[in-house]
Amino acid sequence: MNHPLLAAGGAQLLLGNEAIVRGALEAGVNFVTCYPGTPSSEVPDTFRRLAPSGRFSLEYAVNEKVALETAAGAALAGALCLVTMKHVGVNVAADPLLTMTYTGLPGGLVLMSADDPGCHSSQNEQDNRAYARFAGLPCFEPATAQECKDMTRAACLLARETRQPVMLRTTTRVSHLRGPVRFGPLPEPAAIVPFERNPRRFVPVPAVARVRHRALVEALEAVRSEAERSPFNKTGGSGEIGVVASGVSRAYLHDVLLEKGWENAVRVFDLGMSWPLPEKALEIFMRQVKTLLVLEEGEALVEQALNAMAHKLSLPVTIHGKQGPLSVFGEYSTLLIHDALAPLLDKNEPIACGPGCMELPQRPPNLCPGCAHRSVFYATRKLFGDDAYYSSDIGCYTLGLLPPLATADFLFCMGSSISAGSGFARASHKLTVAFIGDSTFFHSGITGLVNAVFNKHNILVVILDNGTTAMTGHQPNPGVDQEVLGDACAQLDIEAVVKGCGVSRVAKARGYNQKAVQELLLSMKDETGVRVLIVEEPCVLYARRTLKKARSQKAYVAAQDESVRVCLETLACPAFRCRSDGDGGVSVDPELCAGCMVCMQLSPSFKAGKGGEQ
Amino acid sequence: MSKRLRIYLTGVGGQGTLTATTLLSRTAMEQGLDVVSGEIHGMAQRGGVVESTVLIGGWHSPAIQQGEADILLGFEALETLRGLHYLAQGGFVLSSTDFVPPPGVNMGRECLPAIDDIKAGVSKVADKAWFLPLQEMGRQAGAVQSGNTALLGALCASGLLPFGPQALREGVRRFLPSKVLEVNLRALELGVGAIR
Repeated sequence: MNHPLLAAGGAQLLLGNEAIVRGALEAGVNFVTCYPGTPSSEVPDTFRRLAPSGRFSLEYAVNEKVALETAAGAALAGALCLVTMKHVGVNVAADPLLTMTYTGLPGGLVLMSADDPGCHSSQNEQDNRAYARFAGLPCFEPATAQECKDMTRAACLLARETRQPVMLRTTTRVSHLRGPVRFGPLPEPAAIVPFERNPRRFVPVPAVARVRHRALVEALEAVRSEAERSPFNKTGGSGEIGVVASGVSRAYLHDVLLEKGWENAVRVFDLGMSWPLPEKALEIFMRQVKTLLVLEEGEALVEQALNAMAHKLSLPVTIHGKQGPLSVFGEYSTLLIHDALAPLLDKNEPIACGPGCMELPQRPPNLCPGCAHRSVFYATRKLFGDDAYYSSDIGCYTLGLLPPLATADFLFCMGSSISAGSGFARASHKLTVAFIGDSTFFHSGITGLVNAVFNKHNILVVILDNGTTAMTGHQPNPGVDQEVLGDACAQLDIEAVVKGCGVSRVAKARGYNQKAVQELLLSMKDETGVRVLIVEEPCVLYARRTLKKARSQKAYVAAQDESVRVCLETLACPAFRCRSDGDGGVSVDPELCAGCMVCMQLSPSFKAGKGGEQ
Repeated sequence: MSKRLRIYLTGVGGQGTLTATTLLSRTAMEQGLDVVSGEIHGMAQRGGVVESTVLIGGWHSPAIQQGEADILLGFEALETLRGLHYLAQGGFVLSSTDFVPPPGVNMGRECLPAIDDIKAGVSKVADKAWFLPLQEMGRQAGAVQSGNTALLGALCASGLLPFGPQALREGVRRFLPSKVLEVNLRALELGVGAIR
C-alpha cells in the first residue's frame, strides 16, 4: 500500500500522534491495541488507515484494561506491542499494569499515556508519570514531533531488549502539535520471540511475585544506566543557574531562552527519558550550579527527587520548582517559565502582554442540530424535571448538563452512571436516571448493570445508542453495524446483552420519536428494580458521513406563536434563530437543520419543507 | 530569511480552520522553513472555538500566549476580537467580516458586537489590519469554505511572511485534493487581489 507514513525516508510535517505511529513502525511493531480517548485517538486511527499494509494487527478494545491485557498476552507470545489510551484510561488498566512489570513481557510492550494538563477534554488532570514510578516503567516524554517518532522507536526497542513494559507519555500539546519529522529506515516487522513456558515467572502466585518484585527493581536499575547515556537526556548552556526541564516545558524553555537571548545565561538539563532518573548525570549537573529551577507540568515529582538527592549528597544548591508562577495546576507556558526564570537571572523586564480578555458571547460546546440525545434529554426533563436525579457518563451526552436540558447531576468516569446511580438511589430513595452511551456501556457499564440486578437496585437506565463512538471520532465498538465493522469484527446486540445480564424490564424506542420515548419513560418512572430503555438513533454526523443517510427535509416555522417560543427555550436546538429585529420571531437555519423533526412533534407551528420556506 | 514569526489562527468548529492551518504549515515547510504548529479543539466539532498556531523560524513551542502573536488570522469576526489578547502590540490582523452567531445570540439572550466596534478594538493593538468578506469571496470562487484560502492568499500577499503567494499556489496544488483545487486557487487569487 502507498501512504506517506510508509515512505522509505525524507521528512514530513506530522501530528505528534502520527509521528508516534511512524516511530512504532520503524521499531517493527506487530500488534496495536487501544481504547480511543482525546488526546490519544489519532494514534490508533492512523494505524487503522495503515492496516491494509499488513505490517501489524490493530484492535479497538472495549476498554483500556482489556486493551492492555490483550496486548500483554500478545507480548507474552512474542509480539512487539503498542497500547494507546488517554491518561484516565491507565486507571482502568492499572490492575494488570502493576503486575505485568513483575512478570515482564518477552515480546516487548509500550504503553502510550496521553495526559491532559489543563483538562482540555478530560475530567481530571492527573499526572501519569506517577504510574511510571508506581508500576516500575521506564518513561519517555517527547516535546517535539521528531521526538514523538524517535522516542516511540526507542521505547519499543528498549521494551524488546529488556523484555519489560515501557511508558511513552505525551500531553495534549505534544499529541496535537505538528512539526517536521525526518524518517529513519522502515524495517520489516519485528521477529516473534518464541514463548518459553515458565510458570515460576509468568504465574505470579505469592512465592513467584516476591521474587519477581526483586527482578523488577534490578531491571529498573539496569535501565537507569541506559538513562545516564540516553541521547534524550542532554545538557547545554553555561552559568551557575541551572534548569532541569521535562515534557513540553523543554520547548517552552527553548523559546524563552531564544527570544530573550539567554541561551548562555543558564545551564539546561533536558530530561527526555524521565524515568528512571539519570542520577549520576543529574548529580554532576547539580554540582555545576548554585541555583536550580525544575520545570515539569503536574506533580512535583522531579523536584522532590532532586531535593532528596541534594539533601542526601549535601549539595550546595537551592532548588526552585512549584512556587511563584509555577504550580501543579494546568499547563506551563513560555510566559510562566519566563516569569519563574527572570528573577533567578536578576532580569525584571516585563514580557510583552496583549490587551485583557473581553466579555463576549461564549461558544460552549453543544449537542449538534439533529442529535437524538437532545430529544431524549428534552423528554426526560419535561416529564421528571427536578424530581429525578441524573447520573451522567462520559461521551457527547455529558453535554446534557447544559441548560435548558440540565440532565446531568453527577459523573465520575467511564461507566460510572449505572453504579453511582444505583448507590445514589439506594441512599436517597429518589428516582434516579442513568444515561450511558453504547461504547461506554460496552466499556464498563455492563459490570454496573450486572451489579444493579444482583443487588436489586432501583434504577432507570437509558442507553443512548447512537451506533458509534461519537465523541472521539466514530471509532468502532461492539455495537456498530456489522456492515460498517467489516469482516474483522462481530457486532453485539445491546438488547440481548442487557437481557443476558438478567434485566427483565427492557424496552426500545427511536430517539426522534417523542411519543414513544415519553410513553416508555413515564411507564418506567413508577416501576421498581432495574429498568432499561434503549434509545436507538444514529449519531447525526455518523449517519451523514459513514452511513450516507442524510435527511433531505428541513423544519421551518409556519406560524409565530407561544408554542414556537416554548420550543426555542426548552429544546434549544442550535439550528433555531431568534430574530434580531426585536419581534421575538423564531426561524430555523436550513443550513444547520438536520431534519430530525423533533420540533415538529412539540409544536404544530413547525412544518417540514425542503428548506428555504419562511 | 531568519525572521521568526508567531501566527495565531482562530475560528469556529466546522469552518475548516484546521485544514487552513495545516496548509499554511506545509507550505512553510516546503519553503525550507522551520515550522511548528499546534491546535486546541477539545469539543470543537460541537460548535466550539478552534484555536491553532503556526510558528515559523525556529520556535519549538506549539503554543502562543497573550501578547506573543505577530499575526492574528481570524476566520470569524467575533473570534478575531476574542483572540485579540494574543496579539503583540504593533502586530497584524487579517480577519473575516462574517459572523457565526453563538448559541446565546441565536437564543436572543446576547448580542454580537458590531463589525465597526471589532475594527476599532483591533486598531488599538494592531499596526495594520485587513478585514475581508470571506464568505462572499468563497462563494465567488465557487464554495463558501474556500474563503479560508482567500484569507491565506491575502496573508501571503501582505509581505508579512518570508514567502509570497506563489509558494501558497504550489502548496494548494500539492496538498489539497484535486476536486477542490480550482475553487481554492480562485479564492487564493481573490485574497491576493483584495489587499493590493
